[in-house]
Amino acid sequence: MPAPAIRALGVLSGQARTAAGSPAPILPLDRPHRPGDRFRRTTRECLLALAAVDAMLEDGNAGGEAIAGERTALLYVTAAAYGASNQEFIERRGGVVHFAYTAPAVVPAEVAIEFGLTGAYGILIGGAPATLRAIEQAARLLDSGRCDRALVLAVEIFEECADLYARHRRLLRGPMVETAACLWLERGEGELHLQSVRGARPARGSARGGERFAAGPLADLRECLDRGAAGPVELSGRWRGEDARLRWSGVRSHARGSAA
Amino acid sequence: MATPERVALVAAGVVTPIGQDLEAFWSALVTGASGISQIERVPVADLRVQRGGEVKKVGRIKDWRGVPDCRATRLLVAAADDLCTQSGLRALPLDPARVAVVVGTALGGVEEGEKALAGDRSRRRLRDALYDGPGARLAGWLGARGPVITVSTACASGATALAVGADLLRSGQADAVVAGGYDALCRFVLRGFDALRSMTRDEVRPFDRRRSGLLLGEAGALALLMRERDVAGPRLGTVLGYGSASDGFHIAAPEPEGRGLERAITAALADAGVSARDIDLVSAHGTATPLNDRIETAALRRALGPRAYQVPVNSIKGNLGHTMGAAAALEAFMCLLAAQRGLIPPTLNLEEPDPECDLDYVPGRARAARPRLMLSTSMGFGGCNGALVLEAA
Repeated sequence: MPAPAIRALGVLSGQARTAAGSPAPILPLDRPHRPGDRFRRTTRECLLALAAVDAMLEDGNAGGEAIAGERTALLYVTAAAYGASNQEFIERRGGVVHFAYTAPAVVPAEVAIEFGLTGAYGILIGGAPATLRAIEQAARLLDSGRCDRALVLAVEIFEECADLYARHRRLLRGPMVETAACLWLERGEGELHLQSVRGARPARGSARGGERFAAGPLADLRECLDRGAAGPVELSGRWRGEDARLRWSGVRSHARGSAA
Repeated sequence: MATPERVALVAAGVVTPIGQDLEAFWSALVTGASGISQIERVPVADLRVQRGGEVKKVGRIKDWRGVPDCRATRLLVAAADDLCTQSGLRALPLDPARVAVVVGTALGGVEEGEKALAGDRSRRRLRDALYDGPGARLAGWLGARGPVITVSTACASGATALAVGADLLRSGQADAVVAGGYDALCRFVLRGFDALRSMTRDEVRPFDRRRSGLLLGEAGALALLMRERDVAGPRLGTVLGYGSASDGFHIAAPEPEGRGLERAITAALADAGVSARDIDLVSAHGTATPLNDRIETAALRRALGPRAYQVPVNSIKGNLGHTMGAAAALEAFMCLLAAQRGLIPPTLNLEEPDPECDLDYVPGRARAARPRLMLSTSMGFGGCNGALVLEAA
């Protein structure tokens, strides 16, 4: 399949805000501040999604108007970011408004409202393989002309549900690193190839850079770009017995921006 | 440009409040049966509205060994059991690694999360509480070892799942896809919609002047999708096109002019390579909230032009309630059955026309007609709009 090119990538990571080598089980991200009454009750995962888009625009030296409109597709991926809002609603700490925020669809909705995105969209639930699949879906939307640019947004937060995750710490690999990331893709000239195998044994040992669920591949991609990787990029991830690999050549865009 | 690969919807399986197999579901729709009743499985005494489309007993499967006691998973597995009966899926010569599962849901296994937070420390609760838990369990039950994907575009999820499944076939990543949607009635969602005051104490009356809100329902709805050239026997129809669009307006309320839905319909028609003039039947989202039905009518008028006044437009939510993640898949199956059987189910409880909803909503009783091309529309929380174009076999 024809591969998209990266125009920009913004990644916010809990790890970056914690001293290197921290043994903390969860490396959290701060609740970003956003001015305006509209954000008074907005959840942390939504605010982090908005901050990730801001970081992406900064990386691409672009303003919000560059992504506004119906020619921008938005693909959102998460394994568990809705957990915090669900828990809050179940434990009756939230009111009427809070129920709406329990839907995973509300995170990309806040992004769409704030940045004026009215194009095609998709929402995938799952770990890293779902994110690789979202990149592939974005490539298909671009290739078929259904959009001119596609954003792949991934958000994972863990701190509010720390107690639940603590019960299952043996299933997790390394510290849980809260991450919000947004990737801006445009039509490119490379090749994209997704391979997926089910039935893989659970991975042993620590995940590189900690456990980031769906946001892992975008954090890995940021590292690749920062290293100045010249050849094809290979992203991989495991989730529920699926082992997925995305081989991607021609990742770099000719457009302005530090990722370019 | 090459002609896109045509994807057949070979067969469908369902479990719903009005029937636990496809034939029972269809019979109930055309006879105007209602699946709305007092909710019994979860406590509702503290809620303003205590009725919904509840499946009283998932009776299809007698032996649940190997299937967790998760309501959402069991609805999916029961629908898959019907699908296996309808399609002979288990006897087809398919490589399990080439069989994919794509399910749409608004709630996933959230009830398992409620149990975990209530103190159930079982290790599997948290895994099943994640929204992709039931889809993974379904793949295990089917023995499918291809891609397993969960989408959650709120109440448009079932349509998105059918579209993503069709894409997997077109891109050659699978040879067969079990795709559809599900959601279970649980305290979480009943309490949420009760607080939003969007549920009615009256009947669900899509497009009626007296409509006062929706009622929730639960269901599982799955289809077997395959490339048309790989299907030798009968099929229900073809998934011809899909379109989606964000409102970018409000987290819970629809955009007042229905511009997002209009864009989704236009995109679906373009994807299918057909025009508004070709559409013979519209299955509306038709939730019966005062806002939804008016907005949807306006969007249909603009997207279909004069054709909007010439085609029947029905809603089956009066029969089932709003089955959330399953709704769009059930509505797609209704369209294809209508084409196959030559009968369009009526919009139940539509008795008094609303001047703002001025299309032909098939009131009263089922209507004889044999549509060839059908449009199914969906709208959801977060401004998710989806539209499917389906073709009769």
